[in-house]
Amino acid sequence: MVSREARFLATDNIPALLRRLGNTYRVFAPVKVSDTIVLFQEFAESAGLALDEQTTLPPKELLFPQTEGLVSYRYRKDAEDLEKSEVQVEETLEAPPTIIFGVRPCDARGLTVFDAVFTDGQWRDPYYKARREATTIVTVLCTQPESTCFCTSVGGSPTGIEGSDIILTIVTGGYVAEPVTEKGETLLQDEAFTPAGDKAGEAGEAREKVSVERELELDGIAEQLLDIFGTDFWEQVTAKCISCAACTYVCPTCFCFTITDDTTGIEGSRIRTWDSCMFYLYTLEASGHNPRPTKTERYRNRIGHKFSYHPTSYEGMFGCSGCGRCIKVCPASLDIRQVLREAKAHG
Amino acid sequence: MAILDKLKDGVQRELEGLEFVIGWEQGYDPLHASPLFIRTPGDIDRLIWNPLCVHNLASYLPSLKGRRVGILLKGCDSRSVIQLLQEGLIKREEIVIFGIPCRGVVDLSKIKSRIDTSQMRAVSLMDDAVVIEIPQGREEIPLDDVLATKCLSCQYPTPLIYDHLAGEVLPPQRPTEVLYKEVEVIEELDVQDRLAHWERELDRCIRCYACRNACPLCVCQDYCAAESRNPRWLSQRAGVSEKVMWHIMHALHLAGRCTDCGECERACPMDIPIQRIRRKINKEIKELFGYEAGVNPEDTPPLYTFKVEEPTIQEREW
Amino acid sequence: MPGMEGTELRIIGFLCNWCSYGGADTAGVSRFKQPTDLRIIRVPCSGRVDPLLVVKAFMEGADGVLVSGCHPRDCHYSEGNFYARRRLEVLKRFLPFMGIEPGRFEYTWVSASEGARWQKVVTDFTDQVHALGPRRNFGEGNGGGDIR
Repeated sequence: MVSREARFLATDNIPALLRRLGNTYRVFAPVKVSDTIVLFQEFAESAGLALDEQTTLPPKELLFPQTEGLVSYRYRKDAEDLEKSEVQVEETLEAPPTIIFGVRPCDARGLTVFDAVFTDGQWRDPYYKARREATTIVTVLCTQPESTCFCTSVGGSPTGIEGSDIILTIVTGGYVAEPVTEKGETLLQDEAFTPAGDKAGEAGEAREKVSVERELELDGIAEQLLDIFGTDFWEQVTAKCISCAACTYVCPTCFCFTITDDTTGIEGSRIRTWDSCMFYLYTLEASGHNPRPTKTERYRNRIGHKFSYHPTSYEGMFGCSGCGRCIKVCPASLDIRQVLREAKAHG
Repeated sequence: MAILDKLKDGVQRELEGLEFVIGWEQGYDPLHASPLFIRTPGDIDRLIWNPLCVHNLASYLPSLKGRRVGILLKGCDSRSVIQLLQEGLIKREEIVIFGIPCRGVVDLSKIKSRIDTSQMRAVSLMDDAVVIEIPQGREEIPLDDVLATKCLSCQYPTPLIYDHLAGEVLPPQRPTEVLYKEVEVIEELDVQDRLAHWERELDRCIRCYACRNACPLCVCQDYCAAESRNPRWLSQRAGVSEKVMWHIMHALHLAGRCTDCGECERACPMDIPIQRIRRKINKEIKELFGYEAGVNPEDTPPLYTFKVEEPTIQEREW
Repeated sequence: MPGMEGTELRIIGFLCNWCSYGGADTAGVSRFKQPTDLRIIRVPCSGRVDPLLVVKAFMEGADGVLVSGCHPRDCHYSEGNFYARRRLEVLKRFLPFMGIEPGRFEYTWVSASEGARWQKVVTDFTDQVHALGPRRNFGEGNGGGDIR
């Protein structure tokens, strides 16, 4: 943490702040788009913010878009020799300065899973990296866990700071803002932030009061999942799964993608799009063989990846931030927590 | 005997000859039920039956062809089974059906749009109301206000096909006139406004294919034309045009087959009102061919057949 | 004739190999004057025309789509056009629901000998699409109000 100098942000000052920031940044904040759906959208004063609900989708789309142009290309015939053609390739990387306002701690922490895979390891993804560096995450700490929340079971906290640049704690009349990184510090220079005074103490107390019950004991889960890999546990537990990708697409830590060429005539673009391990096509090989032919193998991989292979490769970090969206959206109400409990108890 | 007891009794008696029986159990919170696969007599205690049992369990059947299973069906769900039988996608002799006369199931989105259920403590289901306890107090909602839209015009409360019926035959209780209400709202718009409406609603789609995978009649599943790379109907791009194309593709592949169970819309994580796209086609099919899908196992779907003279089709003159 | 005034629209025609494609050919050989907006895709039979081909054409930016096959009872494959008639009629009633104006899609029957009928169909259909003008496709800017 760079500095813990707390500032106060009055609720009434938020629209003006976001409007000002909009001059230099793309500013995204949660907006209620229908009775039941809240999404991060580019800030518009008319829309009104929905800061007290979990967004339907995590902010990952803003850093890791569902469709991302990697390069565009164009073929050109040689006028002298029509047999010959050359291809012009142009890299398309857009990473404008961006602020995401009103993120939740679990979603900010979800980005650290992306960081480990896309920016910190042996292979660096220039697209994600550029966007991540250009983005400032302003997180509102949680006060009320939902029935689907389990962040504390996977190492997170409703008041956690991982992945955030600024954290906001709800106090009377507004928020106490504290910087977590240099980027956050810069943002706090805006006039909307005033000295916190005794609000800082109130924020500290508010944070003390929040708790999410740790409902899962996941010690040893990585080994246990390998131990039960070949058992019929997986067929039983996945019987109700319908093998759609809702759980993976609403997940703040799922990062699987596919790359395809979109060609029209002599030009096109190479695009990277979200893909899901729950789809048959995801593992279908050119030979026609599919190593994960049914939902059982696919779901086993999803759980195995998040709670065994990922922590093994990334210093114990689970590929899950406990946001609970997968539980909420599952058409069959398949509860990942229950699956993990049963997996631990199996055999 | 109450419906649930009859169901448990029936399942108990049939279970031995079956691989499993599919029913519902209580889900992760008091508002959610979840499909239950009953494999042993010990599992029978977990079975529940109430208006939270929203899932159309028939969706699991096509992938279970060749295995002997039992299944619990509401009236609407039974139409999916009939349609699957019509098309030879499942075998009657492999399935034991426990029918349930049903007075309607809830639409959880309707509840969530009325009250914040994220900290809900308990739910009680009465004959005509749902009572939800939240930290702010007790909220009582009339059941009719939160029933799934399909239930408000239900003409088949009793399953049309079953081996055991848990209870008495229930005659239709609901008016038919409201069936196409949502369709008519869109039909009354200007064409340009219809386009804007669908553009806005469908742009929310994340292409997760929950609508497809939850659909009992979407039997291609892993070999869906939407995902095929050759022929390539759709780009992988998540643009609005791809999304609209997908939803039209889904609806047209269900023309004359859709039984209006509403699983597509229920499964949608983005709450997109897609059932009315299928309803519009159902409405035209009914008007053109007097046909309703999933009512009679001996019927032929109207687009699988033809008449040499089509009295109801008025072709354009040139 | 709009096409000749440099305001051509994108109209796609799916024509069956045995009748309508021949009809269009007859019209050409007979030097019947026709608008040039229509781009023809020859298919084996109108029964081959998956309604999704029509939808795809619209999604790719077509302003109008025409399907033409053999007259009922004259299908080269006996009954392909009977199936087509049902499917295309459902499609025709459905497309306006999604926001594609009535009149942008038609299906009809033209035999190989009916050069004059082809001329009339293609001229009338082209005029009809021109009366509607270029089509705003999904994702091409906001087109107006909504039900809320």
